[in-house]
Amino acid sequence: MMATAPEMPISIDYHHLVQDGRLHGSLYTDPTIFAQEMETIFHRGWSFVAHDSEIPKPGDFVVRKVGTQSLIAIRGKDEAVRVFYNRCPHRGSTLCQTADGNRPRITCPYHAWTFGLDGRLIGLPDEDAYPADFSKAEAGLAPVARMDSYGGFIFVNLVPNNISLREHLGQATDLIDALLGLSPTGRIQLSAGWMKHKMRSNWKMIVENQVDGYHAPMVHGSLITANRTFATVRDRKPTSPTRVRDFGMGHTDIDHASDYRAAGDRLFRWTGGIDPDRLPKYVSAMNDAYGPEDARRRMIEGPPHSMLFPNISLAEMNIMVIEPVTPETSIQYTCPVFLEGADDLNARTLRRCEGAMGPAGFLIADDAEIGELTQMGVANLEPEWIILSRGLGKEEILPNGVKLAGLMDETSQRGFWNHYREVMAASQENVR
Amino acid sequence: MTVTERQTAPVANADRADVEQFLYLEARLQDEHRYDEWEALWASEDTLYWVPMREGSNPAHELSYIYDNRSRLASRIRQLNTGVRHSQAPQSRLRRLISNIEIAGDEGGIHVQSNFMLIESRRGLMTIWAGRTTHVLEPAEDSFKIRRKTVNLVNCEDAINNLAFLV
Repeated sequence: MMATAPEMPISIDYHHLVQDGRLHGSLYTDPTIFAQEMETIFHRGWSFVAHDSEIPKPGDFVVRKVGTQSLIAIRGKDEAVRVFYNRCPHRGSTLCQTADGNRPRITCPYHAWTFGLDGRLIGLPDEDAYPADFSKAEAGLAPVARMDSYGGFIFVNLVPNNISLREHLGQATDLIDALLGLSPTGRIQLSAGWMKHKMRSNWKMIVENQVDGYHAPMVHGSLITANRTFATVRDRKPTSPTRVRDFGMGHTDIDHASDYRAAGDRLFRWTGGIDPDRLPKYVSAMNDAYGPEDARRRMIEGPPHSMLFPNISLAEMNIMVIEPVTPETSIQYTCPVFLEGADDLNARTLRRCEGAMGPAGFLIADDAEIGELTQMGVANLEPEWIILSRGLGKEEILPNGVKLAGLMDETSQRGFWNHYREVMAASQENVR
Repeated sequence: MTVTERQTAPVANADRADVEQFLYLEARLQDEHRYDEWEALWASEDTLYWVPMREGSNPAHELSYIYDNRSRLASRIRQLNTGVRHSQAPQSRLRRLISNIEIAGDEGGIHVQSNFMLIESRRGLMTIWAGRTTHVLEPAEDSFKIRRKTVNLVNCEDAINNLAFLV
């Protein structure tokens, strides 16, 4: 159906560039590889675009980039969410300039062609001046080829592939369930707005860093020195009971719950070890919703710290989205997760997000800096290969195929790259 | 819309030259990364250092770049003082200009608005930052203490670079 990017005449051997335990440096710098990623991973695969709670009312919209494409996600008068390309079907003007808003209809700034929230062309000046065979029904907004959602997370697929969103998410639905299950109603709200942070690094470096359990003592040592209680209460040593996991399909996580469970006795290590007596309404609502025993488990285990292929991270009480811009630059979006029915906790989540995340955050500003240094580093041609073999071959493999390894092992990054290699290598069939 | 619409008028109990000198001092301490001296300009409690993501936002429900109470401000300074806050190691070279100063008295302190333009040089890149700042100052000995500082960046709604220095 729709082709969203030019043909890909250059054949690249991804089996050579992505090996078990090492990667070729050009994966972070080559513009041809970047162009192929946008087409193969972002346009032909499933990408996160928005969350249901961001556009609660008819006419609410957000404008998002997926791959190279600007998309409008908008809620109709019939309450359904639709996703359209941000382009007027008439002469091509951009329709929505702001990142979000509410409109009763969409009017193009160029010639005032006007579209309903369902994308239909409902009016244009001097309609009679068009030929008799001009069809308004065929000049509506262009919808994305496929969209689907899970737990309110809306994903799009621009060039139709053969897999369903559920197949793409695979076992990662458990991670989404774990996050939603921290709300007594099972619902979250992404209503606080998104921090937008310019990163001078390739998008895949941000993916890798999101599930890297190895760097924290070094990159975040200044925070751990300056404020021990701000960070979550967890075991950061190489011997930590925390596992990293590779779920397949490129989805990975750092399973902090394995550490919190081992410690066993204490709720809310994931929110800085707050005394449960300070969140009485939330604790009570959780007990009512799930029963004391299951509620206690949820409040001990806390939220996932995961990276879902290719562009959304459930980053504990934050959602982070990665927008590739060029091979060397990206934008990182961060929004705190508000749990429906947990106002006392949400106020705290908001302030913790500001403390940790984004351009001024105690954590992420330093991750951005290391990403920039790494991007500058890999521009040097030698030593050609990046080493990514920590823990290779020592993983425990569960009957369901999930791979487990130690907190600091590079199993999570390899999980991403294995799927990347599979997808990118398969796309080369189009080239030959 | 925002604080910038407020009518200002000369205030009898705040000498304009004193206020200007204070803003210039603060700017220089920030430019030169004199973290402890800058922190000492703040009142000892009940303070707010706020950099919103949208002018006129409601910080009770909306995310901000920075929303530091006194305790978090102290953490920010302690982290910078470790010398291994990577995003400021090396430090940015900074110089800022302060202008368009308007002073008004109000309940709870002297309200001062000013524009700034800040040039950041780091690793071969020059970055321009700009915005309008509101200070709420309280008289203290022969100078002032900062009770509240709000920085509305002109590009606050866009993606921004690392902001790990003091703005």
